[in-house]
Amino acid sequence: MVNVLTPRTPERLPTPGPAPARDGRRRARRRQTAVAYLFLAPALLFFAVFLVLPLGFALLLSVSHWTGFDLGAVEPAGLDNFGALFADGSTFLVPVLTNTLLFALGTVVLAVTGSVLVATCVERLRFQGLWRTLYFLPIVTTVVAVGNVWKYMYEPGGLANGVLNALGIGSVAFLQDPDTALPSVVVVQAWASLGSAILVLTAGLKSIPASYHEAAALDGAGPGTVFRRITLPLLRPSLLFVCVTQFLTGLQSFALITVMTRGGPGDATDVAALEMYRRAFDYGDWGTASAAAFVLFAVVLLVTLAQLWIFRRAGEDA
Amino acid sequence: MTRPALGRRHFALALPSALLAAGCAGPHRGTGRPGDPVVLTLLSHYASGTLHRALQGPVDEWNATHDRVKVRTKAVEFTDLLTTVMVRQAAGQGADILHPYCLWNGQLVRAGVLRPAPPEHAEHIRSGYGEAAVGAVTVDGTVYGYPTEAQTYALYYNRRLLREAGLDGPPRTWPELEEAARRTTRRDRYGNPLIQGFGLSAHDDATTVGQTLALLHAAGGRFVAPDGRSTAIDSPAGRAVLALEHRLVARGASAPAVDVYQAFPSGQVAMVVGAGWWTGSLRPLMGGDYRDVGVAPVPVPEPHARPATLATGFMLGVNTASRHPREAWEFLRWLNADRVSTLRGSTATRMSALQVSVGSLTARADDMRALLGTGGDPNLRPFLDALAYAVPEPNVPGAARAKALLRENIEALWTGRRSVDEALRTTRRQVDQEVSRAW
Repeated sequence: MVNVLTPRTPERLPTPGPAPARDGRRRARRRQTAVAYLFLAPALLFFAVFLVLPLGFALLLSVSHWTGFDLGAVEPAGLDNFGALFADGSTFLVPVLTNTLLFALGTVVLAVTGSVLVATCVERLRFQGLWRTLYFLPIVTTVVAVGNVWKYMYEPGGLANGVLNALGIGSVAFLQDPDTALPSVVVVQAWASLGSAILVLTAGLKSIPASYHEAAALDGAGPGTVFRRITLPLLRPSLLFVCVTQFLTGLQSFALITVMTRGGPGDATDVAALEMYRRAFDYGDWGTASAAAFVLFAVVLLVTLAQLWIFRRAGEDA
Repeated sequence: MTRPALGRRHFALALPSALLAAGCAGPHRGTGRPGDPVVLTLLSHYASGTLHRALQGPVDEWNATHDRVKVRTKAVEFTDLLTTVMVRQAAGQGADILHPYCLWNGQLVRAGVLRPAPPEHAEHIRSGYGEAAVGAVTVDGTVYGYPTEAQTYALYYNRRLLREAGLDGPPRTWPELEEAARRTTRRDRYGNPLIQGFGLSAHDDATTVGQTLALLHAAGGRFVAPDGRSTAIDSPAGRAVLALEHRLVARGASAPAVDVYQAFPSGQVAMVVGAGWWTGSLRPLMGGDYRDVGVAPVPVPEPHARPATLATGFMLGVNTASRHPREAWEFLRWLNADRVSTLRGSTATRMSALQVSVGSLTARADDMRALLGTGGDPNLRPFLDALAYAVPEPNVPGAARAKALLRENIEALWTGRRSVDEALRTTRRQVDQEVSRAW
């Protein structure tokens, strides 16, 4: 068998040619490099205009006072904006950041658990394509529609309370009670993201060789043991991918909460993205909004690095 | 000779260029020369059918009688108005004429969005409107626009529900209010509210805070300290108001989970504190049942206490980014200052006639009395009377943020997350800390 990783031996390297040929090759390489940069230029320009410039401007605003619109009115403020976010009386750390983390964590736990269950069950059903399509539907539905439908279902006279009442249970003020509002929105976010998670996990399940399950069955392992000892460990890379992406989506969540609760009741569902949007566009406090954006960026970066570290560890273990 | 057809390469170049040009180009605003009139845009919250039609009427009249300057209206729901103003301004697409809630004026002035009124307009505004209305459109002594509507808060009640509970009329004091709320409340066996005795709105910052501030003023309290730089809600009056709301919720007479703006027209709320604009919405919404609706002054804590309530307002002003400010002010003068004969035989400004036609209150008390005296909705009269004693809402730069923070704490109180004292303390700490940065 050919070992593709074996390095080339020195004798197989091309022998140096005469000087004019070398110059020609160098010129060709330079031309290729120039063409490569030429092709890259639109992408680089795009990133410079839409990523680097806004990033730099946001960084500038985070250390300035600015009420918006007039660039001549940007006033240096040092670290005042960051200080204000964590000052006594500020709501940014508690409950805004804690809500954001709880929201993301709750979404991940529910979406991953639900998608593992559904993906495993769908694997055993006929018409898998149909079931996968059904579960994928929320992904292609707009967040506004999803949020509004669930909002009506959660209302005091809505479907959810109707079911509870039919079971003899009293009504629950899902979105109006601060204790249930955040979990209620988490359920919707998890439900809406099940489709993509199931898609990834189904692919992961299909990549597990059937021979492993057959061997386990021959050894007398039950379905529970097979799932715990074979399916789950081999599904770990897919699971971690789903965890990372769901967590990132959860940390940046904005639209669903805006539609369903607007951060209420009180500040029970207020999250970082919503808070910075309000500070900038409702209150004209662009400095603190930018500072909040950088704090959220730091949180997202830390969480992602931690997850990548776990991912790498799990990859090595697997 | 035949011209070559548009090739694929030309098309590939032309399409993105056209899209780019279309995306970057702003709307045509005209030059004012013959055949190319100046086009002014007016952004307001008059988005619903009745309100939109009411504003479109005078705008159409202006467009039909003026060749050089035309006006185009754009409307969004009130809850989206501030965000729309800010986002459009940031995008360089701000409307020439803005119709902001006066609470936002300090913030908008600080952000350089509103243009000061020219001296002749400012003089006309100072002399033509009441003190509260002029105060609402004034920031640091400068007038920024024409007051359009003045809203005061009063007690809406359902006569039928009160009668069925054995009550002759609306409550005048807080003990009577609590008793009436208790007697009119009905719930099913699962605890779902069938009838709320006293509705507490959780609809948005404006309605949630408005009802609390109306009760606060009725108790002699204030939200903002006289210097305008801190909150004064942590006071005996503030404590009394929050305690009243807490009792109403705890005893089941109020169910903030239910949208009071849907439940009251359906006959599921006996009493609610609301602003005058609501009469205009209730009348078409309730049809014949509107005859059950009555309006009374906001109840006071004790008999014979001095009445007081909250006054809020809107104004029409001109954007600093407008390229035709002179024309915009001219249109505003025509709409808000020129007097015309109304169908009811009296004279009033076009804006006053517009406001009363939709069941709202104009900021011009004299127009209001003239128009009401000729067959207007009698339910508007208590709101008009309240203009004499209502306390105007502050319009300092951090007012919108302060209102949002107060709302969060009120809702935390309703839902049992904070006690009355905690809600007051937290409001004071948060408002003082966050809003003091705005100056």
